[in-house]
Amino acid sequence: MTTISGHMTGATAPLTGVSAQPMGVMPYSKYWISWGALLGLTMVMLFSETLPLYRTAAVMLLLVAMLVKAGVIAAWFMHLRFERAALVISIVGATVLTAVALFGLIVPDAIATLRQAAQ
Amino acid sequence: MTSMEHRTAAEVHWEGGVSPFGVPWQKLMMWFFLVTDALLFAGFLAAYGFVRLANGTWPVRSEVFSMPFIGLMTFVLITSSATMATAVGAAHRGDLRLARTFVVLTTIGGLFFLGCQAREWTGLILEGARLTANPWGVPAFSGFFFMITGFHGTHVLIGVVLLALLAARLRSGRSSASGVELVGLYWHFVDLVWVFIFTFFYLI
Repeated sequence: MTTISGHMTGATAPLTGVSAQPMGVMPYSKYWISWGALLGLTMVMLFSETLPLYRTAAVMLLLVAMLVKAGVIAAWFMHLRFERAALVISIVGATVLTAVALFGLIVPDAIATLRQAAQ
Repeated sequence: MTSMEHRTAAEVHWEGGVSPFGVPWQKLMMWFFLVTDALLFAGFLAAYGFVRLANGTWPVRSEVFSMPFIGLMTFVLITSSATMATAVGAAHRGDLRLARTFVVLTTIGGLFFLGCQAREWTGLILEGARLTANPWGVPAFSGFFFMITGFHGTHVLIGVVLLALLAARLRSGRSSASGVELVGLYWHFVDLVWVFIFTFFYLI
């Protein structure tokens, strides 16, 4: 199995050290394209309050932009795009599931507390 | 079926071989550390979200923060992440001299970010913000601000120290591409966490 850079991956790839990984050999331009995308998204986020959007839509825009930025950093800068699915699922899956559970429990609880305080 | 054949059949079935993640242990341990650290930040931000939602009112960010200044900090951190990625790419190509140059640039970016954070903290403290009180009406606001940005800033500081050590080791030929990659993962994580802090604390 080969990657875009032509290096071996999978169980047959020799693991002589961290540098044996293929993902570091990516065109430099990819990093700077990612940088441009991140800057663009940051600008959109900074100027989002000037857009004629309802509060809910503006928050959704910010959250989507945030997740896309996080994805770009993880995939291209941290090279997760070129790692094995087992590693990606373990790392991203575990983090996202725990975070979603955490926020999923927090939000209803906070709203209930707010309603209690208002009564 | 012999035990060897049985084991081989099992490996073929799951295709993980002796290294299911396909990465050396140093890199795997760094990933595990980053996951646990990410969950720590997730806990902080969830607690912040709870208190903010439960409070009902919250200070208007544009009255407290200078958004162009926060934008500058974000720009610097994103740029330092790009220079770090370039350093990792150069190290994997065997160009350790270029890698060192970009590691030094990343260090400068980190120091600049820390300087900006120090300036921001100083400004807010001079306005009367403390861990338990502030002039904007909601005491928890400044408490969360100092805790979350302080914890992130500590990570940046540790990253800058690691980068400086890495640059020195690259200069003396004592570090390799693996060292650059491991420090790079940590530095990108610092940038990744800022994406969430920037959104939740400064924008929403």
